[in-house]
Amino acid sequence: MSKASGGVQLPLGLALRDGFGLDNFHPGANAQALHAVREAQLPFIYLWGAYGSGRSHLLQAAVGAESAPALYLPLAEARDYGPEMLEGLEEMALLALDDIEQVAGERPWEEALFHLYNRLHLAGGRLLVAADRAPVNLPLLIPDLRTRLSHGVTLQLQTLDDDGLAAALQLRAAQRGLELGDEVASYLLRRAPRDSHALFELLERLDQASWEQKRRLTVPFVRGLLDTPEH
Amino acid sequence: MPENLWQQCLNRLQDELPAQQFNTWLRPLQAEIDGDSLLLFAPNRFILDWVRQRHLENIQRHLGELSDGMLSADLRVGKASHPLPVATAATASKPKAEARKPTPISSAATIPSPRPPASGGQQRGSNINPDFTFDNFVEGKSNQLGRAAALQVALNPGHAYNPLFIYGGTGLGKTHLMHAIGNQIQLQRRDARIIYIHSEKFVADMVKGLQHNTINEFKRHYRSVDALLIDDIQFFAGKERSQEEFFHTFNALLEGHQQVILTSDKYPKEVEGLEERLKSRFSSGLTVAIEPAELETRVAILMRKAQQAEIDLPHEVAFFIAKRIRSNIRELEGALRRVIANAHFTGSAITLDFAKEALSDLLALQAKQVTMENIQKTVAEYYKIRINDLLSKRRNRSIARPRQMAMALSKELTNHSLPEVGEAFGGRDHTTVLHACRKIAELRESDQKIGEDYANLIRTLTS
Repeated sequence: MSKASGGVQLPLGLALRDGFGLDNFHPGANAQALHAVREAQLPFIYLWGAYGSGRSHLLQAAVGAESAPALYLPLAEARDYGPEMLEGLEEMALLALDDIEQVAGERPWEEALFHLYNRLHLAGGRLLVAADRAPVNLPLLIPDLRTRLSHGVTLQLQTLDDDGLAAALQLRAAQRGLELGDEVASYLLRRAPRDSHALFELLERLDQASWEQKRRLTVPFVRGLLDTPEH
Repeated sequence: MPENLWQQCLNRLQDELPAQQFNTWLRPLQAEIDGDSLLLFAPNRFILDWVRQRHLENIQRHLGELSDGMLSADLRVGKASHPLPVATAATASKPKAEARKPTPISSAATIPSPRPPASGGQQRGSNINPDFTFDNFVEGKSNQLGRAAALQVALNPGHAYNPLFIYGGTGLGKTHLMHAIGNQIQLQRRDARIIYIHSEKFVADMVKGLQHNTINEFKRHYRSVDALLIDDIQFFAGKERSQEEFFHTFNALLEGHQQVILTSDKYPKEVEGLEERLKSRFSSGLTVAIEPAELETRVAILMRKAQQAEIDLPHEVAFFIAKRIRSNIRELEGALRRVIANAHFTGSAITLDFAKEALSDLLALQAKQVTMENIQKTVAEYYKIRINDLLSKRRNRSIARPRQMAMALSKELTNHSLPEVGEAFGGRDHTTVLHACRKIAELRESDQKIGEDYANLIRTLTS
């Protein structure tokens, strides 16, 4: 409880203004996962993939699209609060548990997740789980939890290739009313770290600078900005 | 209109807050109007405290503005009885009722999941799931004893075997049998009071009873039933007060000829953290094991599930999945769900090639799990011999039997051919492997010890 005052941090500590919707998720090779989340028909989907493959985005988008009570819980942060945080969550119509690998191997958490799964199942709520690896590879202590995590539709998420990253970046830019040409997008991919988190953060920075300086996003403008160290 | 006040308030908060904060702390709240209060229900105390500390001030401010100071928020733990509706970006274009209505294809895309129970003949609050019956329980060698005992109990509750203790690995169908008994009893006696609960719920109810000074009601409640079905009693481990309470409940039920049915992942005596007197009471009725399903049963289960989902599943596809996924029925179902989801998404028919493609990632991970090295190591440890003994030419029985066991397990748990298995065991001929497999199959029937060894090893290697 005392740790609760630490505050919830977004990945990389940044509040992305445009949020995580189903319509700003560029599917790339993950069209089936997007479809499954959008359809909201399956009682349980387990998504796994590398950092930056869109796990958290899809989970939050699903919670955003649900009109009944829903909750997105990143276990990387929730583990500081203790497994009591899972009490009563079976009341949710949709429960999205992110980073489940973070609590695998911790018995109190595993037991709490096991019981929560059973309660949610009984209550008829939908479950979305995301992790960096498949259920079979989680270092779990309780086999009963592993079989339950294997009971849903398990889908692997792929990270976007360069074309996919460029398209995802342009999609986000367009939603901000920002024009990001092909040339600038590919310039960014050559210069910036090629993972979606870093790129979206950079887009946030570019958006602000472009607004402050009343400039369009051109290669020279972007180059100038990238060469200026971030304060 | 107060109905959409909470909606407007949420819209404002969504604009102000990072998406994650909004999705974690505000989306789970349910709102309800009570006089001049807007009651906000949080699912637990933790979320309530967090909202109170960090968001309540903003909520009050927005609410005050939106209601001209008429409404103020009040936080509670629990759920609203008449929650105010909340619309989302997605629901604005696609109403939830419509989204939930399954189209012919998408309804077929889901294996029916156990639904919230107690519709038809079930008593309120029984938690018996009408979807799990004896009729749709697929019987095989691995579970036929368990099924027969369960049926006896269902036909003669309180008198045949009391308690009935069903044990076995996770995901093998213990819970299904338990609900089947409940449904069968209810069918025979509509007014029978049956309660199915998970051991965790029993503990939670007891704690609540102690906290609220309602322990006598708790006792009355659980002692007044005709049949009490408690799942996964291994989770009583270490909870002494609950064990004590359960001991008395248990005795009271037995004395009153009320049926008690328990499940666990282990034989009663092997459950750690359980008081001796409970272990011995649990063993006083009939104890039956459910073993991992053999291939034919796994195929039959898949065909049954596909039929329930109204999916045309070719037998060869069921055979392929069943051959590859052996450890438990949940994983088997997970694999089938994946194939169905892919078929739904691509609009393809389910063929053998399609299933192989759909499951390629899953099977690659599975294959990594059980290797022949791992089997040799596990078997050697189990029989307390050295791995080198398994690979050696020695033929005395204390070595040869474990070797045959390890070969049989390699055949069962990996996809290696018989010559490959022979090769891995000190360069033996494939006919030797074949002989080993037959021998172990035969001994599993005739020699109880070998049967148990086999089951234990399978459990260790696949869990």
